[in-house]
Amino acid sequence: MLLGRSSERNSALNLNGTVRNEIDSGVEHGEVLLRYADAAVGRSPDLKAAREALNAAMGPNAVVDCAATIANFQRMVRIADGCGIPLDSFSRQESEKWRDDLGIDGFRSRENTFGQS
Amino acid sequence: MTTIAAPFAYNHTKWNVLDRMREAHIRSWERLAAPGDWWTGAERISIAAECRRASALVDGLPDPGPGTAALPESAVFAIHKLIGDLPNVSREWYEETINAVGMSDAHYVELLGVVVHVWSVDEFHRALDIDLEPLPESIPGEPSAIRPVGAKQHGSWPPTVWPKDLDDRDADIYGGREYAPNVRAAMSLHPDSVRWLSDLFDAHYLSWVEIGGEQEPFRVLTRPQRELVAARVSALNECFY
Repeated sequence: MLLGRSSERNSALNLNGTVRNEIDSGVEHGEVLLRYADAAVGRSPDLKAAREALNAAMGPNAVVDCAATIANFQRMVRIADGCGIPLDSFSRQESEKWRDDLGIDGFRSRENTFGQS
Repeated sequence: MTTIAAPFAYNHTKWNVLDRMREAHIRSWERLAAPGDWWTGAERISIAAECRRASALVDGLPDPGPGTAALPESAVFAIHKLIGDLPNVSREWYEETINAVGMSDAHYVELLGVVVHVWSVDEFHRALDIDLEPLPESIPGEPSAIRPVGAKQHGSWPPTVWPKDLDDRDADIYGGREYAPNVRAAMSLHPDSVRWLSDLFDAHYLSWVEIGGEQEPFRVLTRPQRELVAARVSALNECFY
C-alpha cells in the first residue's frame, strides 16, 4: 500500500517497476537499488556484487541508507503479517486502482489483512 | 550472551554509519536486555538467540545455539515461523500460538517485538557484511505484567490501543498524535514495542519530520528511492499490507 502513496507524490514512479524487473521504475538508480534489495532479502550470492554496484553508482553513504531501508522493511512486514493488521481505510480505497495489476492480490497475507476493519 | 556493553563499533567497518543509527541500535540492545511486561530479560535474550538460530537455519549457517533461559515450545516455533515462513502466518496459527502453554496474546506481541527489532538490526549488519553484534547480558528483574487497560479489538489479531484510549503510562507511544496507522498500533498491547518501533523507524527510514514531506539532510536516498526499496522488500516477503 506504500506503493500507491509514493506514486502519487512522485509521478515518475512506475508502480509495475517496483515488482517487475523488466519494467523501469522511473526512479533514478532504481535498477541498482532493487538489485541490492533483491540480493539482501533473497540471500543471494550476488549480494557483494550488488552492494559494490550500488556503491559505484551512488556512493557508500547511499549503500548504508539503502541497507537501513531494507532492514526497516524486513521488520515492518513481520509486524504487519505477524499481527494480521487490516488495511487502513484510505489505503483500501486507493489500492483498488492498482492491486490487481501488480499481482499482490495473490499474496496469501491478503486473507489476513483485507476487509477485517 | 557474551559482552557487557553493546558498542556497535561501526568505526571499525568500511561504512560511515550515522550516529543516529548506531545510537538507535545501542538503545535496541538496552531494551532487549531489560525485563519486559511479560518476559524476563533473560527470556528476551533467549528470544533474540532463537531468532538468530532461525535465521541461520534459513541461511544454511551453523547453529549459533540457544539462550540460557528456556522458552515455551510454542514460543520457539513462533520465532521460527516469523523469520522463516512469514507468508504462511495465519490467524489460525496466531490463535493456536496464543492459547499454547506459557503464551498469551500479550506474550506473543512482546515476543514479536523482540524478534522484529533484533532481526532488523541483524539484517542491517548482514546487508553491509558487518559481523552481528553479540547479544547483551540480561538485566535481572521480573516482568511487570501490566496490560494496557485501553486495549481493544480493532481488526488486528491482537487487541490494540488507539490514541484516545492510552493511559498516562503510555501516553507517549504515538508521539502525542491523535491518529495511529494500523502498523504503528499493531504491537500496542506491549507499549514498549511501539516505542522501540518508532525509535528504529526514525533511524532507519523516516522521521516524523519526513512524514510531513520534508527530506532530512542526513538522508542520502530520496523519498521515492527509499519507497521503491521498501515496496520491493515488502513484495519479496509477499506482504500484502
